[in-house]
Amino acid sequence: MPYDSYLHIFLPDELNQENTEQTLTEGKQGVERNHEIQGDPSRLQSVSEKNSNGICTDNFNLSNSGSNPLPTENSTLPSPENSSSSFFPLTSMTPLMPVTPVSESSGIVPQLQNIVSTVNLACKLDLKKIALHAKNAEYNPKRFAAVIMRIREPRTTALIFSSGKMVCTGAKSEELSRLAARKFARVVQKLGFPARFLDFKIQNMVGSCDVRFPIRLESLVLTHQQFSSYEPELFPGLIYRMVKPRIVLLIFVSGKVVLTGAKERSEIYEAFENIYPILKSFKKA
Amino acid sequence: MICPECGLVVGDRVIDVGSEWRTFSNDKATKDPSRVGDSQNPLLSDGDLTTMIGKGTGAASFDEFGNSKYQNRRTMSSSDRAMMNAFKEITTMADRINLPRNIVDRTNNLFKQVYEQKSLKGRANDAIASACLYIACRQEGVPRTFKEICAVSRISKKEIGRCFKLILKALETSVDLITTGDFMSRFCSNLGLPKQVQMAATHIARKAVELDLVPGRSPISVAAAAIYMASQASAEKRTQKEIGDIAGVADVTIRQSYRLIYPRAPDLFPADFKFDTPVDKLPQL
Repeated sequence: MPYDSYLHIFLPDELNQENTEQTLTEGKQGVERNHEIQGDPSRLQSVSEKNSNGICTDNFNLSNSGSNPLPTENSTLPSPENSSSSFFPLTSMTPLMPVTPVSESSGIVPQLQNIVSTVNLACKLDLKKIALHAKNAEYNPKRFAAVIMRIREPRTTALIFSSGKMVCTGAKSEELSRLAARKFARVVQKLGFPARFLDFKIQNMVGSCDVRFPIRLESLVLTHQQFSSYEPELFPGLIYRMVKPRIVLLIFVSGKVVLTGAKERSEIYEAFENIYPILKSFKKA
Repeated sequence: MICPECGLVVGDRVIDVGSEWRTFSNDKATKDPSRVGDSQNPLLSDGDLTTMIGKGTGAASFDEFGNSKYQNRRTMSSSDRAMMNAFKEITTMADRINLPRNIVDRTNNLFKQVYEQKSLKGRANDAIASACLYIACRQEGVPRTFKEICAVSRISKKEIGRCFKLILKALETSVDLITTGDFMSRFCSNLGLPKQVQMAATHIARKAVELDLVPGRSPISVAAAAIYMASQASAEKRTQKEIGDIAGVADVTIRQSYRLIYPRAPDLFPADFKFDTPVDKLPQL
């Protein structure tokens, strides 16, 4: 290993403290990164990019694999205060790191079901012209003041307003949403408008998953009263409003969970990791 | 009022602040100078210490054209005109379903709290009033279904449900979860079922929930199915349509819940139940 020679520099005790913290954050991101990789194959490219950037941090891993016992790392992994904002890359050093047992992380990855994004085409549009010339476009000015256009490839729907702003819904991933928005912008461009692609922003992400065991919603609402709302007359699921990543979860008796309100994929994953131990404690029978 | 023996103060403020009774001794019923003012409601309106000019007695009371005397009372308590209106509406709604005074008082208090907080100012007062009525019934331990409140209010179930959640948030209170037993006595007496059948239905519903035969079903639907089973096993049979009409549940919903509890029917009935139709002859839908 080419990095072995650097070990002696990083052994001093003063650095151990920050090494510990860094490894712990890395450890958490390692789990998250695994989620990312599983969830979206299109991200592999970005993963390898990150690998090339942070070579020196691997040494922290090496120096600590001996000094840090397994429990320290595992006990802090599920804690929410480790922010996921700074991603430290991991290379092939990863297998040497203590592997987190499955009981700590849920092993279940929420699947993204819907992404809502907005983009500004930066030019005034003539909706009637768009509705007349474009395929798969509907426009009822009396009902709604926008053209509703659909494309087949990433199966998505766009609401195109006369101001030039557009809302794109139905995509299953961030990249697909961006791609679909670009396709819609292209359609508008081909109709003769000077369309641009400004301020693409993902506004909402919806994910769902299955914890595979039935849940006692009545007990959950009793203990988490300030976050939960369970009214069987109004809706069969429990509505859990999580504070730390501000995510709303719909939890059903069957064990299916829907997470919504996220701006980032990581928020969905974090929310699910937060709720999973709670749901496990309210498993039925 | 003080007890003469121990000196315990039994009642202070023994001045009757109820509304004035009418005296029939005089011929002129309008003028009765021994009585003053309307019933005091200091808890709800702000004090209500306003006075108004009564009708003139003599000939010189601004009698133009012989008709109008001094201008009728101006708007008193204009600051709480809306609140008084809402109280009137609440009393009307409660009267339609014969709610006791304690629930109406609680509703008025809730409405006053919400109104003063102003966080739900934009919502229709009737919607807030209906939601307060719903919460008051729940808090008093005699919940009414949303549909029952809808029946006496002009507001839709959706809007009442929304206001309900907003009020719980605004007042930072919570309510207990509804159970099947809360509705048994009302539904059964509306259907004219004898006490035995009502007790049997309560037992069936409670057992069904304990044995988790109906996961995710609304307690109202389970209660309706239990009433159906109990009534069908007794001499007083009721059809699904009749029960659905009283409970506000669709008859297909009763059918679905009934299908879930039917297999365990022998276990659900109370031990001392007298079967008019034996368990194996219960209708199978």
